[in-house]
Amino acid sequence: MLSVRDLKVSYGGIEVVHGVSLDVAAGECVALIGANGAGKSSTLKAICGLVPASGGSISFEGNDITRASGHAIVRAGITMCPEGRQVFPQMSVIQNLRMGAYTRTDPEQEADLSRMMDMFPILRERQSQAAGKLSGGEQEMLAIARALMARPRICLFDEPSLGLAPKIVASVFETLARIKAMGVTILLVEQNSMMALNLADRAYLFEAGRIVMEGAAGALKNHPDVMRAYLGH
Amino acid sequence: MLIEILQQTINGLAIGGVYVLIALGLTTVFGILGIAHFAHGSISMFGGYLTYFLATSQGLPVLAAIPVALVAGILLGMLVEILAYRPVRNANHINAFIVALGLTMMVEGINLQLFGHEQVVIPTGLSRVFRLGGITVPELRLYVIVAAIVLVVAMMIFVERTKTGQAIRAVAENRDAAILMGVNVRTIPLIVFGMSTALGVAAGIMVGALFAIAPGIGEGLVVKGFAVLILGGLGSFPGAILGGTVLGITESIAAGFISSAYKDVIAFVVMILVLLIRPQGLLGRAP
Amino acid sequence: MSKHKFTRACAALALTLVAGSSLAAEKKLTVGVADALTGGGAVYGLPQANAVKMAAEEINAAGGIKAGPDIYKIDVIAYDDKANPTEATNAVRKLIDRDGVKYILGFCCSGSTSAVASFIGNEKAVMLVGNAAERSITTKKIPNLVRTRPPADYTGQAAGTFIARKGQKRIAVLGALDVGFYAQYVDSVEREIKKVGGEIIAREVFSLKDRDMTPQLTKIRGLNPDAILVVGYVEPAAFVYRQAVELGMNIPRYGFTSGSEEQFLRVTTSEQMEGVWDLRPTELTLLSASKNGVAYHANYTKKYNASPSPSSPYAYDQLYALKAAIEAAGTAENTEAVAKALRNLAVPPQVVMQYQPVDGKMFDVNGQAYTSNGAFQWQKGKWVFVEDLPSDSKAYSQFLSTLK
Ligand SMILES: Nc1ncnc2c1ncn2[C@@H]1O[C@H](COP(=O)(O)OP(=O)(O)OP(=O)(O)O)[C@@H](O)[C@H]1O
Ligand SMILES: [Mg+2]
Repeated sequence: MLSVRDLKVSYGGIEVVHGVSLDVAAGECVALIGANGAGKSSTLKAICGLVPASGGSISFEGNDITRASGHAIVRAGITMCPEGRQVFPQMSVIQNLRMGAYTRTDPEQEADLSRMMDMFPILRERQSQAAGKLSGGEQEMLAIARALMARPRICLFDEPSLGLAPKIVASVFETLARIKAMGVTILLVEQNSMMALNLADRAYLFEAGRIVMEGAAGALKNHPDVMRAYLGH
Repeated sequence: MLIEILQQTINGLAIGGVYVLIALGLTTVFGILGIAHFAHGSISMFGGYLTYFLATSQGLPVLAAIPVALVAGILLGMLVEILAYRPVRNANHINAFIVALGLTMMVEGINLQLFGHEQVVIPTGLSRVFRLGGITVPELRLYVIVAAIVLVVAMMIFVERTKTGQAIRAVAENRDAAILMGVNVRTIPLIVFGMSTALGVAAGIMVGALFAIAPGIGEGLVVKGFAVLILGGLGSFPGAILGGTVLGITESIAAGFISSAYKDVIAFVVMILVLLIRPQGLLGRAP
Repeated sequence: MSKHKFTRACAALALTLVAGSSLAAEKKLTVGVADALTGGGAVYGLPQANAVKMAAEEINAAGGIKAGPDIYKIDVIAYDDKANPTEATNAVRKLIDRDGVKYILGFCCSGSTSAVASFIGNEKAVMLVGNAAERSITTKKIPNLVRTRPPADYTGQAAGTFIARKGQKRIAVLGALDVGFYAQYVDSVEREIKKVGGEIIAREVFSLKDRDMTPQLTKIRGLNPDAILVVGYVEPAAFVYRQAVELGMNIPRYGFTSGSEEQFLRVTTSEQMEGVWDLRPTELTLLSASKNGVAYHANYTKKYNASPSPSSPYAYDQLYALKAAIEAAGTAENTEAVAKALRNLAVPPQVVMQYQPVDGKMFDVNGQAYTSNGAFQWQKGKWVFVEDLPSDSKAYSQFLSTLK
């Protein structure tokens, strides 16, 4: 479904992603794990068109989207729930959710809206509050729901657990599991490697802008290098 | 005394409406692009001149000239975005600043070339006066106030209730996140410039009908507009509306009760006082 | 006459004709105009510059200026001083230093004129001031400066007498009072109305750029005056008249603006102007105009496709006064002689304004000329000349001589 080949990303002439190739098949949940600054977010941003690829190619459902602009990529069916949540702070919760459906013209948007609020009751409760006033965990729920409002074919999550209390982290992963069960294709970037590997079908391990290992999530979880470096064993 | 205060308040409402329209345009542009669009006043006055030209030399009824000028304003705003600001979109901020200053001089020069240095007054033929107790309201001022309210409400509805309006807010609040929602961030500035310039042209027409348009008036208005932004709180629509109204009324009351000689200084005294007490402006969010 | 004498006379005549045609090779006299051609002052300055150019064409067509043996054709260079002191100083310096001009005309506005007046005394040049009304321009006894327009308070005194006679006691003033000559006008009015127990109850200010006078007018309305007096430039004054009506003020409105119908009607409707008085130098109005005035109006309108502003003849008359002075002095080169001749000039027959000579001379010892003052009223879309205002040029001239 999504296929990245030899992707390179540079900022101001300094390359930080040095030729990454990865694939996500329809219905799959794929995790990208790795240390800080390894280039995971940059890879996702390049897929979404937020930063240009300085080399390589990205294709989605057979179409080349390497140079497509951000809004066109969203319309093609790729949505990202970005690192740090990035809600629209002065807009209300419900306005944030509606922005998620910005590209849609079908009549089911309102139905989806109430479905999202069923899924996250706190959002219904806070629907007319400014999003910036929500707690970190609530904002994460909002960001996830907002991403789903687009009815994406594939949803990219960039560290949804970042900066949240452990209890909240657990509920974020529960949510991701439900989304996965709904059949949404997922590409998940996480520092919390254990939980990510538990959720994912397959995983890639990033180190300094390169993929150094890939395989079934279970296999990576049990690989001694991964265990030592990332799982704290 | 009470009648005088009420009368001064009504006097100030019309010019307050003009300030609000100018400030709303400036705040939307600032919100989206982070630029201080100094040429806004001069372009607005161009719209006023155009209305005058259509209504006098071309013999159009004023009510027909106004929509033509508003549409011209939308197109002109878009042109300014494409030709002047888009090329410096990703450059250093100082570039946009210089472009804004240069554009102001250019538009002032064009106005002077096309419409001359003499003041022009848009002929409306509206000279009835309504009386209410001891208070008088000239017909024209009433229409100006009503038109300003209608435009502000229309803009609020557009921004709050339409997808495009919401996209404008979203881009202002978080550009990258807006892209992730599928917003085309190249067309949004076009829409914003079109809308802002149309509001500015409406303000220019009001100034031309109530008072007069002459070289330099636009620059004066844009300075007041920025004062309103800071007074109301940068980036806040309700702040611009409150700030513009407050400024119009304060100027009028202060000119009446203190001295008309200081009318233009008052804007800045009020602004500084408010900033001393509320650094974020009347409705701005605390940092 | 004897035969002998006759031959001698013929010979002399022949000689003069020959000499005349050879010596009186046409020369060129360049006069400068420094005036507000753009900006707020242009409503006065531009028509003045036009008037000088028109006078020059007329004089050239009628044979030019005869100074002793020389005949001069006039050339006019006009520079824009924007009614600004610095610009005016630059313009005059350019005229004198670069263009070699000796005679400078125009000068509609007081600030810029005063700046030039402060140094013109040291130049080998003659300055002829037009519409600028600040009194001090002719109190310094600058020998090479004359002015065709009387100072504002000369008119103010006449206006005060008129208002006093009309019987309103409590007068509210709204005007460009930060400008010296407007304040002087109001002071003179106050002196006159005090004599009959009247008073000025408010002095509100507007600037040249103000267009919203409602704050000041609302304040004045709260004081319940018997009448308002508006002194200042046409454009803001027009807004005062309009907004006074819009505020429901139904009291007599006096003014000192000298604006034309056209200028007011750009801002107001004729109904809003109905009944307004303008108490000012009589200047150019068709109703009170001399034959010269009627011809001037017609020629100007034909040439420039717009009617002349009422004050524009101040500048037109400057050139005819200059012509007469040069011819009397018999030289255009010696500016001192020309300046002296100006001070001794009888009113030339071609002038448009109706001057009130002092001791038979157009300009008094201060270099000041006086015109009659008149009361004009707006009636059904037009300024109507109602009556002459009593004014005593000789007494005022003596008063002016006592000032420094
Ligand atoms: N906008 C930017 N400009 C310059 N350098 C950047 C920018 N964004 C990221 N980088 C650099 O690129 C490298 C990769 O960053 P990236 O955010 O992709 O890593 P990451 O794997 O997502 O790390 P983290 O786990 O901290 O989110 C880092 O060295 C970072 O400093
Ligand atoms: Mg990251």
